Amino acid sequence: MIRRSHLIAVRINRQFLRDRRFLGMSLLVPFLLMLLMKYIFDSLPGLVRLGVHISDYAIMVAAYLVFFIAFVLSTIVLVRDRVIGTLSRMFVCGYRRREIVLGYIAGYSTIASIQTVEVLLLTRYLFDVRLLPDIAPVLLTMLSLAVVSVGLGVFISNFARNEGQIFPFIPLVSVPAALLSGIAIPIDDLPLALQWLSYLVPLRYAADVLREVLVEGGDFTGALGPFLALIAFGVVLVSLASFTLKERE
Amino acid sequence: MTGASGEGGRAASAISIDSLSKSYSSIRALDRAGLEVPEGSIFGLVGPNGSGKSTLIKAICGILKPDSGRISVLGLDASRERARIRSRLGYMPQTPSLYEDLSPVENLRFFGGARASDALDADIEARLRFVQLWERRHDPLHTFSGGMKQRASLACAMLHDPQLLILDEPTAGVDPTLKQDFWRRFHELCGRGRTIFLSTNMMDEAMRCHRVAVIMAGRILVAESPEAIRSRGTTSVTLRLSGGSRTEELTDYPSELPRLLGEYGLAPEVEGISISRQSLEDVILAMLGGGGGETP
Repeated sequence: MIRRSHLIAVRINRQFLRDRRFLGMSLLVPFLLMLLMKYIFDSLPGLVRLGVHISDYAIMVAAYLVFFIAFVLSTIVLVRDRVIGTLSRMFVCGYRRREIVLGYIAGYSTIASIQTVEVLLLTRYLFDVRLLPDIAPVLLTMLSLAVVSVGLGVFISNFARNEGQIFPFIPLVSVPAALLSGIAIPIDDLPLALQWLSYLVPLRYAADVLREVLVEGGDFTGALGPFLALIAFGVVLVSLASFTLKERE
Repeated sequence: MTGASGEGGRAASAISIDSLSKSYSSIRALDRAGLEVPEGSIFGLVGPNGSGKSTLIKAICGILKPDSGRISVLGLDASRERARIRSRLGYMPQTPSLYEDLSPVENLRFFGGARASDALDADIEARLRFVQLWERRHDPLHTFSGGMKQRASLACAMLHDPQLLILDEPTAGVDPTLKQDFWRRFHELCGRGRTIFLSTNMMDEAMRCHRVAVIMAGRILVAESPEAIRSRGTTSVTLRLSGGSRTEELTDYPSELPRLLGEYGLAPEVEGISISRQSLEDVILAMLGGGGGETP
């Protein structure tokens, strides 16, 4: 099983490295978005008077970007595999559902790791956020979040018959993630029903960990609760993706 | 070239399909289809576009769930024992279904790698040489023509020398010389006990199969040897007589021709006989109701 998942991950990364345009865009897009955010925040000095600190937001936005890009990429690529028939061919050649899901997660986690390192470097140097000595929990949280995104992407891909049908799902996942994760609006300020709903948003747990470790200056043990919740979310989504990946039309 | 080794005898079935149905919303893709494919034979599935060929093929490969009916492949239940069947089956889809940004070697190594084999690299070389892509083995597939992609796809299906090869229009876009090579290889594989189940739109190919099934609107109209299907057609016999000519349509010319000629006792006024027999294509088109479809 590990051998086959490894073959899938290697194949995905080989394709990723070979597609120069895709590679370039994958690195350029987070850079441009972080730069845009920096520019907006710098041009709004009133935010500081309101007590809004850009550095508090930078790492959250970085997490959001990793979550969003990994979700969109894995959904699109898996649907494309279904449309062109390579997914069926994988099944007929002997790959099994859980091997495929794990292979995709491993493959995209590599891509997401590169993006994570990139956004963390940008956060450090553009926004002057102090990442050391807590870099290990930050990386771990971001990577767990990427795994959750890929699991969600594989699960969502079951509901789309072609690439076009993915697009309605993108705002369905990305807008609640932005509004209910505590990144844009503090969860305590939300109506009670939405506070409950926020427990279903995996990005909330990643944001909780990052806030505790980087913004509040606490240590990782203090953020263990949300971190374990994020891991649990990952396990549930990856299992769900493995069970629901359609083998037969 | 028309073989008949699949005929006669009581060969075991490589594929056995019973009353298979599948609908997509209001469209009935398969309608109580039934088939027996003898082991060690080349079996051709012929029908117009949209007749259910690919649906049937996908159901056999276990990547399509039928609404009802039963499929047995190599003696195993196709819905319950998919993994065991797949280890002995090679499948070539209608579209190439390979990664365009990877080379043939990389594609074959990826798909073939799912089955652990020490001989994988040697098999890849042998198959790519057979489909004449060895020289281009490191080029990405997006630089290939449609026919070359088909060849790479066939190499992928044949990689592990499967007991049963399921090929959905394997020679579409392949040039005539290579097509001849493919067919030689199909018969050679068949001689080694392999079973080949393929769909085709080309009647010259159907004639090379041991058995042919004609499918229309998801129903199997007939499944016999190509010669037996052809004999369902009529034969037009025209006698040129000294006082004119006489044409008769015979449904079973081997038995009816002697009677017809007997009337004349092959008298001197019979100056010539011409026989025009319906082709397999004519017979199949007649079965399909005048050939409303784009194919065969």
